Amino acid sequence: MKPAALAERLRGAWEDLREHPGLAVLQALGVVLGVASVVGGFSITDSFRRQAEQRYVRTGGMDKLSVHPEAGVRSSQPSALQGANLGLRAADAERGAALEPRTVAGVSVVREVQAWVSTPSATGWRPVTGINADFIPLEGYVLDQGRSFAPGELQAGARVVILGSDAARVFFPHGDMLGRTLVVDGVPLAVVGTFQPKVFRFLESDPNLFAWRNRTIAVPAAFVQKRLQADPHLRLDRITFRVPDTGRIEGFSLNLASWLRASHRFQSDFRLDDVAARHRREQRQGAVYDLVFLLTGLLALLGGGLVSVNIQLASLRERVREVGLRMALGASGREIFKAFMTEALVLTALGTVLGLGVGVGFAWIIARWLSVPLYLRPGSCLWAFLLAGTFGCAFALLPAWKAARLSPMEALRYE
Amino acid sequence: MPLAIEAHGITKVYGAGTGAIRALNGVDLRVAHGEFLALVGPSGSGKSTLMAILGCLERPTAGRYALDGQAVEMLSGPSLARVRSTRIGFIFQACNLLSRASVARNVELPMLYAGVPRRERRQRALDLLEQMGLGAQAGRLPGQLSGGQKQRVAIARSLANRPTILLADEPTGALDSHTGMEILDLFHHLNRKGHTIILVTHDPVIAARASRRVELCDGIIARDEGGR
Repeated sequence: MKPAALAERLRGAWEDLREHPGLAVLQALGVVLGVASVVGGFSITDSFRRQAEQRYVRTGGMDKLSVHPEAGVRSSQPSALQGANLGLRAADAERGAALEPRTVAGVSVVREVQAWVSTPSATGWRPVTGINADFIPLEGYVLDQGRSFAPGELQAGARVVILGSDAARVFFPHGDMLGRTLVVDGVPLAVVGTFQPKVFRFLESDPNLFAWRNRTIAVPAAFVQKRLQADPHLRLDRITFRVPDTGRIEGFSLNLASWLRASHRFQSDFRLDDVAARHRREQRQGAVYDLVFLLTGLLALLGGGLVSVNIQLASLRERVREVGLRMALGASGREIFKAFMTEALVLTALGTVLGLGVGVGFAWIIARWLSVPLYLRPGSCLWAFLLAGTFGCAFALLPAWKAARLSPMEALRYE
Repeated sequence: MPLAIEAHGITKVYGAGTGAIRALNGVDLRVAHGEFLALVGPSGSGKSTLMAILGCLERPTAGRYALDGQAVEMLSGPSLARVRSTRIGFIFQACNLLSRASVARNVELPMLYAGVPRRERRQRALDLLEQMGLGAQAGRLPGQLSGGQKQRVAIARSLANRPTILLADEPTGALDSHTGMEILDLFHHLNRKGHTIILVTHDPVIAARASRRVELCDGIIARDEGGR
């Protein structure tokens, strides 16, 4: 169809709709409700999903596989066999990464200890985190002031410390902490840097869920192991492998678990935490909600469509004489069919746009109520358009067909 | 030159079997170009059925019908629509204007189905309205016009595609006598300009204004007077 002919047909449809505004509104209502339901529902789940994704991204991304000692080992009540295994060690990090060097792009380690921390401004028991070089980028920390640990400092367990923003504020309330001394269990450490504050709120009304990260007191892992704990086995509380190709995490996870079990005397004294798998699980849960909203939308469209068919058939009864007139003036059955279908398309398009507005408005109110930033996925809108278009056209077929088959004379005589 | 209308043995039967109703029973009618014919008869005489067949709104059950020399009784639905669009202009008792479309748009409607380009359509509609003395009303809605004005819009619409014949079904039936006479004068004017007009009426006064009167009774032509 030529653009001019299409424009003419659309203009004609618009004028025909204006002939029967009440019926047109009723007819479009089904589409409005269906589209609003799909878009509104999808937008709410999309907003929550987006929020969850942001949480993963801010904690360092979804491309991570972490290994933790089992609870019993961590709480210092291991079985005899577990005790003999000595838990996670620095060697596990190095050799684990070496299992698939092309897959693993980085490995961070953590060794934590409760220590007495003091400066002239503040004192108290604080968790002190022993880290390695990859910890900062893998955990999503960004340096605010100063520098990171040098390789030599990490290896030697040098007496250097980087402070989270809150820790820096507490222990050095007057600022200017670089180069100054922080005493940990009686050992003076030089402050070489500070981290930027980390903020994450699942809901806008929530407190900062990353506040604990801002209290970080990071020192070289070797300092904790050697100086504070005097641990000859260099045990660790967590090893995190970064696997940029998330599709390979599952395979690496199996490989790593198998190797760890073998090297830990076939004891499962460790636990793997696959962030991507966790995210996938949450996505699957979100997909269930999507399906529910999609079905709700489908049902609304189906109900609306059936109502629309009835309205169109009723409208056809009102318009029989008009159809007869148009036929007398030269419209063929095909023209009448096309005119009815175009009217349905115009109504569907208008209903979709209106439904989009209602759905977004509805989602905005819910999101605001739940304090979640609203996120609209183009795919959701496309789904709504496709569904509404399909239903709008499908349900217009019967009335259009009936109108096209009217006899012109009988239509003109219709009372 | 072929006749405007040449119908032989036109028969129309509604229904079948014992309940069948024979509305027309072998009507023969020949109408030359430029005639002004009044089709009269009592209610149920078959005049509306004959008008429907002459207007290609219905096919005869039997008989032959040529419009401007073209046999139309066996044409398909779309072809009949094309004939209606280009060769026949209808004027109805109730005017039958689209209430939400402007007067000009109503006049454009037959041209829309005939595929006349938009600009030409608009120009022709305005010209016709001007001829009907309704140039200033082109942008108004039918509801804002008087009964006589509405019927003149309907006449303008019927002339839109320069048809071979104008078929008017009780065109003054809904008008007061004065306005009715004005409309009849308009038909005379159009007839003098060469338009072939067939006017269906049950009113003998109106029929008397036509140059030829064909009276139908029980589905056959009972009287045909004044013909050329």
